Amino acid sequence: MKKNNNTIAVPLKRYISQTEKKKRIFVYCSIIPVIAIFAFVRIIPICTNFVYSLFESTVVNPTQKFVGLKNFIELFHDQLFLLSLRNTTIFALFVTIFSVAIAILLAALLTTQSKLSPLYETIYFLPVITPMVPVAVVWKWIYDPTYGLLNYILSWFGISPIGWLVYPNTALIAIIIMSVWKIVGYNMIIFLVGMRDIPETYIEAARIDGASSNQVFWKVIMPLLRPILLFVFVISTINSFNVFTQVFIMTSGAQGAPGNAVRTIVFDIYENGFRYFRTGYAAAEAVVLFVIILLLTFIQFGISGKGDSSKKKRAIFRKGAVK
Amino acid sequence: MKIMRKLFLVALVLLVALQMGFAKGSSESASESKPQTITLWSGYPEMEPFYKQAAEKFKETHPNVTIEIVSHPLREFEQKLSATIPSNTVADIIEVSVYANQKFIEAGLIPEDEGEVLDFVKADGRFSDFAIANDSYNGKIYGVPLFQGRTALYYNTDMFAEAGITEPPTTFEEMYEDAKKLAKYDSAGNLTRSGHSLRLSGQGSGVAEKFWFVLYPMGGTFIEEGKTAGTYHAAYNNDAGRKALTYYIDAVYKDHWDDQKIKHDAESFELGQTAMFFRESWVIGDIASKAPNLNYATAPVPKDARWGRITNIENLYVTKASKNPDLAWEFVLSLLSEENQRWMFENVGWLPCRNDIDISDIIERHPQFAAFTYTDPDYDEYGYLPIAAFDEVITKLAERLVTAFLDSSLEGNDAAIAKTISDAANETNEILKRYNLYGE
Repeated sequence: MKKNNNTIAVPLKRYISQTEKKKRIFVYCSIIPVIAIFAFVRIIPICTNFVYSLFESTVVNPTQKFVGLKNFIELFHDQLFLLSLRNTTIFALFVTIFSVAIAILLAALLTTQSKLSPLYETIYFLPVITPMVPVAVVWKWIYDPTYGLLNYILSWFGISPIGWLVYPNTALIAIIIMSVWKIVGYNMIIFLVGMRDIPETYIEAARIDGASSNQVFWKVIMPLLRPILLFVFVISTINSFNVFTQVFIMTSGAQGAPGNAVRTIVFDIYENGFRYFRTGYAAAEAVVLFVIILLLTFIQFGISGKGDSSKKKRAIFRKGAVK
Repeated sequence: MKIMRKLFLVALVLLVALQMGFAKGSSESASESKPQTITLWSGYPEMEPFYKQAAEKFKETHPNVTIEIVSHPLREFEQKLSATIPSNTVADIIEVSVYANQKFIEAGLIPEDEGEVLDFVKADGRFSDFAIANDSYNGKIYGVPLFQGRTALYYNTDMFAEAGITEPPTTFEEMYEDAKKLAKYDSAGNLTRSGHSLRLSGQGSGVAEKFWFVLYPMGGTFIEEGKTAGTYHAAYNNDAGRKALTYYIDAVYKDHWDDQKIKHDAESFELGQTAMFFRESWVIGDIASKAPNLNYATAPVPKDARWGRITNIENLYVTKASKNPDLAWEFVLSLLSEENQRWMFENVGWLPCRNDIDISDIIERHPQFAAFTYTDPDYDEYGYLPIAAFDEVITKLAERLVTAFLDSSLEGNDAAIAKTISDAANETNEILKRYNLYGE
């Protein structure tokens, strides 16, 4: 390395004080076990899954025969996989859109602090903390064509009994409705926190400038909620693509929904991996699911990044120039 | 000095020998009195009382042994086995059918029967040839047959009398006509009582298994052996397969004596929402507890081109994970005792596999059992083939059947029915090819 005589030589090792050193040791000691556990339960299995996807497997030997991309090629000719991909996409699309839209609406209604707000928040949040299995069983009863609560209520309006879980066109809708109900409370709480975090001065400033409630919501609140919106969209999309429990419960038994009508990717992975022991094939499906979710997350980040004008808006607000 | 040295050596040898003998004796007595636990997993929750009472009896002669029984719904249980058998964390004893266990047997994860257990299973007249064949793989026997699920026709005697039907159907044609007479509808044309409850929906292999009840008498089956031993191919892409599917489609759409909206299976029968259905003998115990006032009887499965009923054997296996297999086998054999087998039959309703036990007095007390023990030289027994591919074959067929049953355009459309059956059979053959089991 050439040294310029006019410059002062900078020591390679920066001086670190004893206190700084102790702090760093403490930080490393705190982080390393967490990273190690995370690597053990998440990173290593994910990497192993990638490896398994290139093998043909048996019940005892997941890497019996290297087959390269054969599992992936077979996947895209597998009608059940393509059907589950279609169903999962429809499910994810509707659950994400409806759960986000309803959650924003509820959060907007609950933003105004009233005595009953905590009660409503608790009521809307209850489905989130209730385990999925009993919830799915209860919804299966609600959808029962003969004794179900939903058909009973519909009968008041002269509507004939509907086999909600019986027919393919209604089975997926029924599971979407139940899933939206289950997660809307979680999204609502996140939006509520975000909305309450918006300084009142911004909204007051907008009102002084003559903005209507509608304008305040769309021109002030929503742009400022953009990072939270992104977070909720990403989390809802990931969760929706991973749907399994409600599908499994609602298709089981003699009165279960027709399996293929609501077949989702994780259900297909489960069946291939744990029923037929085609672990290599199931691993390939999991890789495809991983790639889909990763791409969608990048797309969502990309869309959000392009239109992210919240920083500009904040700057404008500071100058009191909102229109 | 030499004598002293010899005496010392002899004394030393004696001392060591005594020590060893003492140690052995004490370890034996310790193992006899040391608390021991044997775990048993079952896929039939209704069997739990049976195992519990047998465990209490076993404890009388083995006070240091605790038997822990865990039961799960069948599908969840099969998944649990999938995770625990390969990882050697399964229970000492598992109660499972061959179709679910075959993949583990073929993978060498289940020990074969030996010694006293093998003698017990092979004893003359104890088990049927069908049961022994079911439990055999590559000339070796695995597990001990505990109970069998034979199918018969349950029918509601009050509903039959109300419809003026005096006898249970003996042919599928009669059964179809009876079902038409027995079905009931509300003013809007909704079915309020099915004539015969078929299995039309739900995940897993159940739909296909129930389809088999119709397919077999009509002359078909799922897979049959090819020309080369050990190879198989689909055996329902024929008149029997098409006739069986037509039977279902006509029942749902043409004559509408069953549909997907009404309740099905045992629950439907107990609620009075169906007049007939096919099921195993455990339903007798279920009805006794859930619908004790229900008036019903049972009959052998009706005939068509041939006559037969499905028989599924449920076995007990001691696993490789067992730390005390001898004790586990001892408990298994105690479950197979005459006393315990009779208790199981009378209280749970599952039919014992043992042929050398007299159960006539129980049948006299509960005449509904008679159809399950009924025998006739022409009345065939068929069941799950002991090959690992079988579960995938029937599960995938079940998925196709559920879709077909929802397709009203199949009614009266022979070409579409033939295509549905042909596509399903092609898939069956593809699965067999993947397992290297396909043969013309």
